[in-house]
Amino acid sequence: MIEIRRFFQQAFLYYKEQYIHFSFAEILSFKMALPVFILLYYCMAARYGFNSPPLTRWVVGNSFLLCTYQCLFALGHTFSSERFNGRLRTLIVAPHHKLAVSLEKSFFYIFEGLVTSAFGLLCGSLIFGISFAGVDMLLFVTVLVSGMIAAMGFGLFLSAFGLVSDSMHLILNVVYSAMLILCGANFPIADLPAPAQVLSYMLPLTRSIEGANMLFGTVDGARLLSLLAQELGVGAIYAILGYITLKICEKVAIRRATFEMF
Amino acid sequence: MNLRILASTMLVQMKHSFARPVFKLCMLIAPVADTILLYYMFRHSGRADFGMYVVLGAGLTSLWETILFSSMGDINRERYNGTLSLLFGMPTRFPLILLGKIIGNTILSFATLIISYITAYVLFGITLTVNSAGLLAAALLLAGVSFVVVSQFTAYALTLSRKTVVYMNCLNFPIFLLCGFAFPIEILPAWALPISYALPPTWAVRMLRMCFAATIEPALFGQYALILIGELVLFALLARLLFIVIDRQVRIHATLEVF
Repeated sequence: MIEIRRFFQQAFLYYKEQYIHFSFAEILSFKMALPVFILLYYCMAARYGFNSPPLTRWVVGNSFLLCTYQCLFALGHTFSSERFNGRLRTLIVAPHHKLAVSLEKSFFYIFEGLVTSAFGLLCGSLIFGISFAGVDMLLFVTVLVSGMIAAMGFGLFLSAFGLVSDSMHLILNVVYSAMLILCGANFPIADLPAPAQVLSYMLPLTRSIEGANMLFGTVDGARLLSLLAQELGVGAIYAILGYITLKICEKVAIRRATFEMF
Repeated sequence: MNLRILASTMLVQMKHSFARPVFKLCMLIAPVADTILLYYMFRHSGRADFGMYVVLGAGLTSLWETILFSSMGDINRERYNGTLSLLFGMPTRFPLILLGKIIGNTILSFATLIISYITAYVLFGITLTVNSAGLLAAALLLAGVSFVVVSQFTAYALTLSRKTVVYMNCLNFPIFLLCGFAFPIEILPAWALPISYALPPTWAVRMLRMCFAATIEPALFGQYALILIGELVLFALLARLLFIVIDRQVRIHATLEVF
């Protein structure tokens, strides 16, 4: 019981620490206005590139991708931020499990990711006049949550590399760029060459974006269920890979003893 | 003397910037990724000049990203390393050092346009025809100056802030969007157009596009150049005024080493 309470206390402290020196207006502009600008940019590019199509698929796809700021960057920087602040050495010798550290740091970001995506979707819908009439909202939220879970698993996997690498910013940005191209948020995956399509389906969010888009048209129940199961499967695989990688990276990090180098 | 300081600051800055992984990401990887993304987004447009939008769009977004994250980030790095106050107290004026840093970053950042073109040519066979090499050189020069002036203005504004990272992230996409790096600003809502017109890079982008268009209108090119120069003078004056205010605030608050 004490461990559970400590988990939540620690998670809250980590989260609060990120925002304590910001004013409310700054948080609002960074967490709300910036995602809206990102969404607008890709939707306007799509409007130009696809000759003013209905922008539903771009609003949905890019809203889903907005959660990567939390799932990918916040979680991915779990250990690199500790390295930057010179605390990685202390953290690595602490009896606390490193997976617990990752989970504590990411716990509140799950909700923040959901809020960001939902807010992006709301703003995108209002700006571009997208109607949710006829969309099963319960199913939509389920698809959104499954996408977040998969993205969190992926973020957990990537965060492990922060124990051995001082270039997490580079790694995470390359992964983010790849997701922009490969997840099907900005153009159909079928346009990509076959090897790139394989990569697309190895990434989180690809299936949830496809599922969410399906909800705005004809819903194939079996296909949607399959997409949801696959998305959760992808998240679970990355979470397991993350656990294994964390163990390996922890050993490598101790052997190298370069915790304070960057 | 000033020119020598400016040149040496530029040179050191270019070496430092290129040593940073994130700068390499913005300069070498981002234009490749952006070119691929914009190609797949624009290939269905049916426009004969979509290749130009792909190359310039990807090149300019990466260029701005590189300048923004290096020039604004430098203020933050100097603060974190405790050297920002030293820069302010040196006999050489802070604006000169900052200008050297920004020009250095801007020169390096222009590589994004070349990388974007190479990517578009190698992967998708896109070729661009230049109408007039002279006008292109003028457009590139004015584009460079416009990025330097806007960056200098922004860097001054962020000198006092301890949250530079947040602000520079917030400045990225609005500029992409409002300056029409990847698409013509005419597709933006009417209320957004005055803001677009007030930003110098908007005119630089128009001039660059004109150099690769099927036909070039020298009179219109000249008109854009005049508007751009006018806005640059205004921005430079505003930056100068802003620095006077910031300089005074820096000396009153004395928080340059507070991180």
